[in-house]
Amino acid sequence: MAYVLIAVLSVFLVALVVWPLIAPASSPLPAEQADDQRAVEEELTRSLDAIREIDMDHRAGNLSDEDFQALDHDERARAVALIGRRDAMSAGGDS
Amino acid sequence: MTLVGRAALLLAFAAALYAVGAALWSRRTARRALLASAERGVWAVFITTTCAAVTMWVLLLTDRFDVADVAGYSNQSLGWRYKITALWGSQPGSLLLWMWLLSIVAVLVVVTNRRRNRDLIPVVIAVLMGTAVFFTSVLSFITSPFATVSPVPGDGRGLNPLLQNVYMESHPPLLYIGYVGLSVPFAFAIAALVTRRLDGTWLTSVRRWTIASWMFLTTGIMLGSRWAYEELGWGGYWAWDPVENAALMPWLVATAFLHSVMVQERRGMLRIWNMVLIIMTFTLALFGTFLTRSGILSSVHAFGESTLGAYFLALIVVVLGGSFALLFTRLPALRSRNSLESYVSREAIFLYNNLLLVGLAFAVFWGTMFPILSEVVQGQKITVGQGFFNQVAAPIGVALLFLTGVGPLIPWRRASPRELRRRFGVPLVIAAMAMIPAFIYGQDGAHWWAAAAIILGAFTLACLLGEFWRGMKAHHGLGDTSWVGSFGRLFTRNRRRYGGYVVHLGVVSVIVAIACQGAFSTQGDLALRTGQGGEVAGYRFTNEGGTRTSDDHKMSVAVTLGVSDGGGRVATLTPGVDVFTAQQQRSSEVAVDTSPFRDVYVVLVGLTPDGLARISVFINPMMMWIWVGGLIMVTGALVAAWPARRPRKAIVPSATGADGRGRE
Repeated sequence: MAYVLIAVLSVFLVALVVWPLIAPASSPLPAEQADDQRAVEEELTRSLDAIREIDMDHRAGNLSDEDFQALDHDERARAVALIGRRDAMSAGGDS
Repeated sequence: MTLVGRAALLLAFAAALYAVGAALWSRRTARRALLASAERGVWAVFITTTCAAVTMWVLLLTDRFDVADVAGYSNQSLGWRYKITALWGSQPGSLLLWMWLLSIVAVLVVVTNRRRNRDLIPVVIAVLMGTAVFFTSVLSFITSPFATVSPVPGDGRGLNPLLQNVYMESHPPLLYIGYVGLSVPFAFAIAALVTRRLDGTWLTSVRRWTIASWMFLTTGIMLGSRWAYEELGWGGYWAWDPVENAALMPWLVATAFLHSVMVQERRGMLRIWNMVLIIMTFTLALFGTFLTRSGILSSVHAFGESTLGAYFLALIVVVLGGSFALLFTRLPALRSRNSLESYVSREAIFLYNNLLLVGLAFAVFWGTMFPILSEVVQGQKITVGQGFFNQVAAPIGVALLFLTGVGPLIPWRRASPRELRRRFGVPLVIAAMAMIPAFIYGQDGAHWWAAAAIILGAFTLACLLGEFWRGMKAHHGLGDTSWVGSFGRLFTRNRRRYGGYVVHLGVVSVIVAIACQGAFSTQGDLALRTGQGGEVAGYRFTNEGGTRTSDDHKMSVAVTLGVSDGGGRVATLTPGVDVFTAQQQRSSEVAVDTSPFRDVYVVLVGLTPDGLARISVFINPMMMWIWVGGLIMVTGALVAAWPARRPRKAIVPSATGADGRGRE
């Protein structure tokens, strides 16, 4: 009985592992370019979070007007650059 | 059945080996089908390891005493719950649990990355499955949980009575989940180094894994401490035992990483340092596993003498050597985007916090390994006592408490003196008020660090509550939410930040409670005949009679004690002692009366036939706040790790009239 169980398990595992090599992919995996886009998206998300956090810190009185303006300006410039990169990538992907 | 278990482990070994090869080959040849096959290899490892774990549980539950682990760690009278937990009572069983958890984690990584990190995933799989190859080979060829014994005993030796405890049911698996979970950030870090994708992608992918692993490690450490407090009967909860230290070291370095990772995300700094931290965290997790299994150090928690140490040491050398060699070749690509603008800035505070945490981890490592190093150098094993660890940990703990309060109030990049004065005004006044009781109780000078912990605890609490208050006020000021809604919005808008603050509240509770317990606890021994009373630290204990019982498993003695203070009776405590017949092992049944200000903790040392009870009494102040603080820390980590709902695409909020909310 144990031998039968082991044989069935072994056959099942081999079939499981080998199947993608012999069967055509039903749903193609996304291209590696998607990883680059996602990296920019995530960096943009972090940048937008940072802008909101700086804004809330200013409202909460944790940042002086002068510091707020300097930090906010730099972070917005970074976000705009990232949006530019994201849009360029999207345009490249569409064409 | 044992054959099925052995075969399952061998198949797991083969599948893991295949997954490593297929994943790496898929990267070389860019064949997606091969990567899909490697991913299915990970599933195969999960299926086979699950099969092995289930087989072991069936053997334990059906009392198959022909299996060495069942005969050694279970018996017929053991309840089904402890038969299940007996899996991690033995060395091979605990390794099987490690491996099974690793296979679950690897499958989760594959499932959650089906449409992301496609560049990184082949290397991630190779690292995780490489670790699996090590564990499955150890389980298949060196120490099998399915090894048999002959002749077959009629009954097993049973599970160590000290492990028959609710905390021990959950402490080892939680700790192992923490250890195993830390292999994911490590695998992504190595993948980022190999593929040279050193942007922030890998950090985002591992953030939740790291917080979740940290949360499990915290819970595991807390439950282990609670077990030591309730089960070992020496009045304390942490003895700087090598195995306790083994869990603490990766926790300290992971804590450092969780802070420094924010500096990289926000400022593009500390990129090399973060790599070093994550490599060290995983290495220390392996080191903890090595310490408990090598037999090189004696500990109440270790598995005793074994030959596994050399294999684990070899793995650690390979991981450490390989990782640092890879890191060295990528140094030019890991240069920081920015530099430190001010020593009084959020990133500087994180840097100080990192240095303290890593410094403490190094001191703990040094103290733990000193007996071995001294034996190698001097030929004599010199054990480092609790005094060394306390002397190092106390000032570092106090300094960390200070940074816990200061950090959140200091902005990124720089802070102006005027702002600092404005922000720290109220916390400093509260800290000054806390000096009065701190110096009254700590006036003998011996408890300076307890006094410092109380003062800085008050300061940090004020800083954190002030942050919550200012955040609520800012949200409330937007005019569209109630005060309660504003409080809730803090967490929905920025879970990570405010979840982190909740963790910090827990840290305040734990450090202040540890300091108070260490400095102000009182201990006394009493010998009381029936009807007789005695006093310890203002509490009167009266012997109200003893009891003796016995059944098939154990003989028990207990004494009932009436406890009263100046205000009358406060508790009835029944400390006892069990002697387990199968193991001929003695176990204390500690009695504890808990209140917010103190624990009355009583251990029965002995009870003579004529009713003379010898008891040890510990009055431990603030003990409850260690456990409450731990719970708060875990809750905060859960909040920080909880996924936030995000808009798919956002635009930069307008600078004028920004309402702080994301817009479509």
